[in-house]
This record gives sequence, structure tokens and C-alpha cells, in this order.
Amino acid sequence: MSAKLEIANLNKRFGGLVAVNDVSFNLEPGEVVGLLGPNGSGKTTVMNMISGALACDGGIVRINGTDITKMKPHKVARHGVARTFQLVRPLPTLNVSENVMLALAFGKQRHWGRTAREMAEDKLAFVGLAGRGQEKVGDLTYIDQKRLEMARALASDPDLLLLDEWLAGLNPSELQIGIDLVRHLQDQGMTILLVEHIMEAVRALCSRCIVMSAGEIIAQGACSKVLQEASVIKAYLGDDHA
Amino acid sequence: MKTSYAFILAGGVLALLATAPVFISDYWTGVLLGMTGYVTLATAWALFSGPTRYVSLATVAFFGVGAYTVAVLNDIMPYPLVLLCAAGIGITMALVVGLSTLRLAGVYFVIFTFGLAELVRQTVSWWEVNVTYTMGRYVFLPFEGRHIYWQLLALAAVTFLISWSIGRSRIGLALKALGDDETVAAHSGVDVTRIKLLLFVISSTIITLVGAIQAPRWTYIEPSIVFNPTVSFMTLIMALLGGAMRLWGPLVGAIPLFLLFEWLSGTFPDHFSIILGLMFILIVFVMPNGVLAKFDSLRKGSKL
Ligand SMILES: Nc1ncnc2c1ncn2[C@@H]1O[C@H](COP(=O)(O)OP(=O)(O)OP(=O)(O)O)[C@@H](O)[C@H]1O
Ligand SMILES: [Mg+2]
Repeated sequence: MSAKLEIANLNKRFGGLVAVNDVSFNLEPGEVVGLLGPNGSGKTTVMNMISGALACDGGIVRINGTDITKMKPHKVARHGVARTFQLVRPLPTLNVSENVMLALAFGKQRHWGRTAREMAEDKLAFVGLAGRGQEKVGDLTYIDQKRLEMARALASDPDLLLLDEWLAGLNPSELQIGIDLVRHLQDQGMTILLVEHIMEAVRALCSRCIVMSAGEIIAQGACSKVLQEASVIKAYLGDDHA
Repeated sequence: MKTSYAFILAGGVLALLATAPVFISDYWTGVLLGMTGYVTLATAWALFSGPTRYVSLATVAFFGVGAYTVAVLNDIMPYPLVLLCAAGIGITMALVVGLSTLRLAGVYFVIFTFGLAELVRQTVSWWEVNVTYTMGRYVFLPFEGRHIYWQLLALAAVTFLISWSIGRSRIGLALKALGDDETVAAHSGVDVTRIKLLLFVISSTIITLVGAIQAPRWTYIEPSIVFNPTVSFMTLIMALLGGAMRLWGPLVGAIPLFLLFEWLSGTFPDHFSIILGLMFILIVFVMPNGVLAKFDSLRKGSKL
């Protein structure tokens, strides 16, 4: 259920742009940590390198001590890493239930047939989509697509969950539901890396946060302390406010 | 329950089709033969290209290689062994092509596969002219039309069985998923490259065998006959017309189009390519998901 994540000296360049520069941090098993930073600071790029979507230009990613730096995404997934995407990516050819069954069929346990259908229904119920497995994903509202995205990530039975602004775009009551859902996973002991702009959610969920700016880590530590540091305020709001 | 009825029905139809040559003339057996060939080609094509949406124009490359294998080997080996060799060559070629091209996306893949068909045809021509000094070969096998037809019918049945079982398996789900979004499929644990390669090999091997089985029908074979790009285009149009995402789609497209093409190529031999092109455009514009999907949406629409 829980995994230890170790990242050391991660680097990524896009042409001349250094998107991630020498980023190192660890997540202890069961920790929920916020990864913050202004737009374009490299948060998604870090997640992409952990999940294998992007190759690293340098550095090491370890999960429970296993080096996964050079692994393809499907291998990383089988090592217990699941993610959601910043822009939801439901699979339109599959119905809601099949979207979840895909991750069940190819996750760590490889469930299929009746078991998989039942487990998909369980995952859907957990995110609040009970009984809606046969619907088309195109007919889902935005929050329901976000729920589906979460159900699919959970279906592979991850030890480390990467949430890329999963709570963004929700209204206040939906946000509360979302926060409760993540807290539930936290209680189950899942290790979670949470990229988030909504401070209310970060404060509610994260014991610790890491702040990036222009590809580098500029602060990390307990949320309450880090969010008051001058460099963090400067990165978010500009020089005048520091 | 429903599945077992469908199987009984399919078995009955198959038996009926198998006995048909006893009752009908040789001409119609020939038509049935050609039709079964295209039904198999279109279904095999859709096996890979339907869900993955990798539009392949390499059909005739494999088809022609199958036919040529028979032409080259038929007088030095027993026939079953020749078919086995054709399948082996098809698998090897599909592996090489698949490994080098399945990373290409969209239109690059289409162009590459089209180029591949031309490359294979030119290579075979060059080889025959410069190395073996034989432009054109004879295939002498003691087969009549109905013998070839029965072999094709068996291959068609196997193809449907494969397509049906893949559609129900987790591989079928993975195929549909990676057709939608390869990144998401990979992050869900699907080994995208391997599954694409597997399906490409299965599909191409069946196509190679269709070419091999049909070879004796021509008696005389040369590259321009068996590597005719029209085969690739017709296969594609048939699968698209019926719907490449469905088990029976390619069959539904292949039967009427085959009959139409037979008639057209007899009646307007000079304008055949133009008509083919126009139909292609029409199908892609009017029903990109195929006739069956169109029927479905019409039915659902009328219910509301
Ligand atoms: N595939 C790519 N090719 C080129 N540049 C990229 C690519 N992905 C990201 N970048 C660039 O790298 C930088 C970091 O992007 P990234 O998406 O990681 O930021 P982020 O912190 O997730 O921002 P946001 O909060 O807006 O999601 C940006 O300048 C972005 O334009
Ligand atoms: Mg981002």
C-alpha cells in the first residue's frame, strides 16, 4: 500500500529551456506531500519523469529502493505508481467501467472477467460514480471525469499516487468532496504526491510541501512554515510583496 | 446463452457456404472465392488497424509476398509446407516492419506502409530480372476453384474466431485504449509497443496466407499482378464501410463492395480507379465509423 519515493538530482531540458534543474526530494511511506510552484515551474515535468512519460536528462528515481529512472510507463505502473493527468484524459471508446477495468487488467494484480467488473464497480463507488459504469465518458460532467480519472488511477492498486492538480476546477462543495476522498486514501496509508494550486487543499492534506520555481526547489518543509517564507511569496506574487 | 446461439448460427452458415460449390456454377464459385478472400483481408486488416487506428496500406505487400512464396516454392515442397513457409515469412516481415514503424504516428505510418508495398514490389521485380532471370512464374497446383475457396473459407473462419476472442480479452480492451490515447494506456500498465506488434503480426500473417492460398488461381504470377496497390485500397475501403471497430463490420462492407467492384471493373475497366477513389472519399465523409455504427445511431435516434 505504501511506497518510499526517492528522487535525486533530476534534470530536464526542452531545447534551451531548463524545465527541471537538479531537483531532489524524498517521500516517506504513507506521506502526503504537496508540490507547489507558479505556472511553468516544472511540477508536471517532475511527475512525468517519475511516471516514465518523459525520459530524464539526468538524475535517479527510486521506488522502494528500485531504480525506475529508465523504465517505460507501463513498467513504472507495475511498480505501483499511478497518476492522474492535469487535463483529464478519459478514453472515449471505452465506457466508464471499461476505463477502470483497463487499469485493473494491466495493473499489478491483472484482474479480469467477473472479478474485474466487480472491482471496477467498487472503485467507481469509492469515487462517487456508483452504478454509472455503463455510461459513455463523453456524457460525464467535468467533476465526474475527474472522479473517473481517480478511479482509473486507483484501479491499478498503487503504492504511490501522483495527483496533478486533480482538485483544480471544482466548485467549493465539490472541492470538499475531493479533499475528503484524498484524505481517505491517506488514511489507508497511500503515499501521495500532490501538485496543487489550491492552498486550502494543501493545508488540509499535506504535512509537508516542496516549492518549485523556474525548475528549482526554492523551499521545503512543514506547510505552515514554508508558505510564509519570503522567497516563496516572491515566487508566487512577485517582488513587491516580499 | 446468446453466444452459443450465435456460434450455432455461424456454424450453420459456414456449412452452407462450404457446400455451395456443389450446387452453383464454377463462375459463381469463383465470385464466392474472391469475396471470401476480401472478407478475410478486410477482417484481418481491421484486427490491427480498427482499434489502433494505424491505417495500413501494406496489405498488398504481405498479400503479394504470400503469393510469391507459393510461386517460388510450389514445385520443390509439399503444399502444406509451402503454406507454413509463407506464414513464417509473413511473421518475420511483420516483425521487422512492426519494430521499425509502429513508433510512427498518423500519416507517417500510412505513407510508410504505402512505400513499403512499392519497395517490396520493386525488390521482387529487381530480384527476378537480375538474379533469377525469370520475370513471371507459373504456379502448377492441382487445385480447382472450389479447393481454393474451401481453404479461404477455413482461413476466414479462423480469422473471425481470432477477432472474436481478442475482442473479449484484455488485449482487446488494451487495443481500444491505446487507439484512444497511448499515454494513458501505457500509464495503466499496457505494454503498448508489444501489443501493437502482436496484433500487427497476427493481422499480417493472415493477409500473407490469403495471398498464398489464392496464388494457384492465377496460374501465372508476376509482381504487377500480385503487388497491385488496388488490393490495399479495396481492403481499406471495405473495412471502413462496414466499420473497422466491429467484428462483423469488415464482412458487411466487403460483400457489397466486392460485388460492386466486380461489376464496375467489368463494365468500366478504364475508369475503375477513379470510381474507387470517389467511393473512398464518400465513405470517409458520410460514415467515418462505418455502416453498422450508422445503423446503430439511426436506431437510437429514432427511439428518442
Ligand atoms: N513537452 C514539452 N516540450 C517543451 N517544453 C515543455 C514541455 N513540457 C513542459 N515544457 C515547458 O517546461 C516548463 C515547465 O512546465 P511544466 O508543465 O512542468 O510546469 P508546471 O509547473 O506543471 O506548470 P502548471 O502549473 O502551469 O501546470 C514550462 O516552461 C513548459 O512550457
Ligand atoms: Mg502542470
